[in-house]
Amino acid sequence: MHGPISEVIQFIDLNAYTITFLFIVGFIGGLVSGFIGSGGAFVLTPGMMSLGVPGTVAVASNMCHKFPKALVGSIKRYKYGQVDIKLGLIMGVFAEIGVQVGIMLQKHILDKWGQAGSNLYVSIVFVMVLVIVGSFVMRDAVKMKQAGNESAPGTSLAKRLQQIELWPMVTLKTANLRISMWFLLPVAIATGMLAATIAVGGFIGVPGLMYIIGATSIVASATELVIAFVMGLGGTLIWAYYGMVDIRLVMIILAGSLFGVQLGAIGTTYVKDYMIKYVMATIMLIVAVSRFFAIPKYLNQLHLISLADNLENIMTKLSFAIMCFALLVGASIILASLFKARSQEKAAAVTG
Amino acid sequence: MQTPEGIVPAMHNETAAFPQDPQDHNQIDRQLLLERQKDRPFILVVTRNGHLSEHVMEYAVNVAHRLQYGILAVHVDTLPLFHDRGKRSKLFAAAMRESEALFNRKAHNKEVVVEHLGETGKIGGVVSRLCHAKKRIEFVVVDKGIRVQEVARQSPVPVFPVITTQSGQCSKTIFHNPKEKGVFAMSTTSRKRHVKNCFLFGALTSGLYAAVFVNQDVVMTYFTKGGAFALLPVATVFAVSYFHGNFTSAFWSALGIEASKKTAAQRVEADQPVKEGVVAPRPDARPRLQVNV
Repeated sequence: MHGPISEVIQFIDLNAYTITFLFIVGFIGGLVSGFIGSGGAFVLTPGMMSLGVPGTVAVASNMCHKFPKALVGSIKRYKYGQVDIKLGLIMGVFAEIGVQVGIMLQKHILDKWGQAGSNLYVSIVFVMVLVIVGSFVMRDAVKMKQAGNESAPGTSLAKRLQQIELWPMVTLKTANLRISMWFLLPVAIATGMLAATIAVGGFIGVPGLMYIIGATSIVASATELVIAFVMGLGGTLIWAYYGMVDIRLVMIILAGSLFGVQLGAIGTTYVKDYMIKYVMATIMLIVAVSRFFAIPKYLNQLHLISLADNLENIMTKLSFAIMCFALLVGASIILASLFKARSQEKAAAVTG
Repeated sequence: MQTPEGIVPAMHNETAAFPQDPQDHNQIDRQLLLERQKDRPFILVVTRNGHLSEHVMEYAVNVAHRLQYGILAVHVDTLPLFHDRGKRSKLFAAAMRESEALFNRKAHNKEVVVEHLGETGKIGGVVSRLCHAKKRIEFVVVDKGIRVQEVARQSPVPVFPVITTQSGQCSKTIFHNPKEKGVFAMSTTSRKRHVKNCFLFGALTSGLYAAVFVNQDVVMTYFTKGGAFALLPVATVFAVSYFHGNFTSAFWSALGIEASKKTAAQRVEADQPVKEGVVAPRPDARPRLQVNV
């Protein structure tokens, strides 16, 4: 604890509950990440915070666990031919710029308003992004399911953008599209900024890749893992420079999440395109509700509202319970569809 | 003359399998046969020796005859710059001519067309280049003295060595998958290997975790120092991702949970090349000079 900022940061003591909790959350988070390209982190940041880990250490440790997980996941999905490395690297490099901006913002808030202010900021950004993007993705997933469409060829916005010949044009083979670099830039920077703030760039990155760039959800979620790796590595180096990475937490989460990410990646080869959107939106919306219930606590700590102690307790527990529910729902959908499709394939192989 | 692969094509000595027959009707027959053979697929026969082994010739001729293929026989001089004032190269070329004549005789009996080629450089590079230049090479047969792995690594088509035993010749089929991508690369390894990997990487991962958690206090002191010490946690998680990543991958494979073969195969087929955008020519708006006569 000799870093420039870590003087004020307390690292938590580990016990059996903490370890078990982080391992299981890590596994489920990894499962979700492997499947939808991101998502482990959005569950883990509040998860760690609920264990008493300060928001900044939670975000820093999260980012540090994210990039090895993304690396393992992207290698796995590359083997399935789902990753557009060129797109991932370009987006990743530009997302780094977004990460730098995001980190500066986060540090500024921590210095100005302290821990509670930082926590409040993280929670509000969470709720806003999750609700807006989550409902949009959900609407699209339901539409696709009703239309019985396995894979949409891209939205009208993406198609229109692809037709604009603005130098420099980028040809992406795996994603099977050609688009101007200028449209990749804003998506990448927004992804990076969100990633630095709440450690989940994917909630902007994956929908951005799907609806603005025009990749399929399979390619978008797989490519997001490359983006997550690039900016996760850069972000981690900076957080670690300030000595805020708790390697113990990172390693416990990784122990679980690498099991999950492998399984999630395997799952993508069995399901239809809309399933990824469906799982993503479901989890985002449930977690948004969970974080909404956590906001009054931080407002109370900042003396912006006055809340009775028992009410604050109930809300904190409720928030935590809903978050666990979101995790379980996401994981159940992924596992159920994976094993269902697997048994169907086996049955088809036996009869065929 | 140096090509990007560092291989200099030495001698191109393309001759059909048939001896120079003075009779006209034979000449016409040969031309007709050559015409027919033009679109035929080829078997690439590679040797690094001056004399191609006879059993390899016979095997190649028999297979080519059965499959109605042509043969491309390549002698690769792997030591073109050997310091003996060109003595070795001369001997190699002489041996090659003898070998070619023998091969032509054998092929002639079975009415198979043989093209000969002399090359220099590394075997793998030569095979890779020829396979890409001549699209219709179906598989490669290698002579003794060539390591199959060396060729297979760079060959886009399967490679077969022909091995002789005391009781006669036998061909050993070694299938080489050129692009280890997609589900084709998976599930080819046995469950046993996954279990072995699972235990190996499991042990390594446990060791790494034990090292960190037993020395928790020291680790936390140094890892949170910041500055250049930032490389410590990053290096540690890279190690974790390698060891634990391999462990978890082997773990699920050992349990039999692997990617869907059907979906991935379809996806690979569905990939279409991206069409480059066609840019309309700009209108020529330059002012014109008009001459009134």
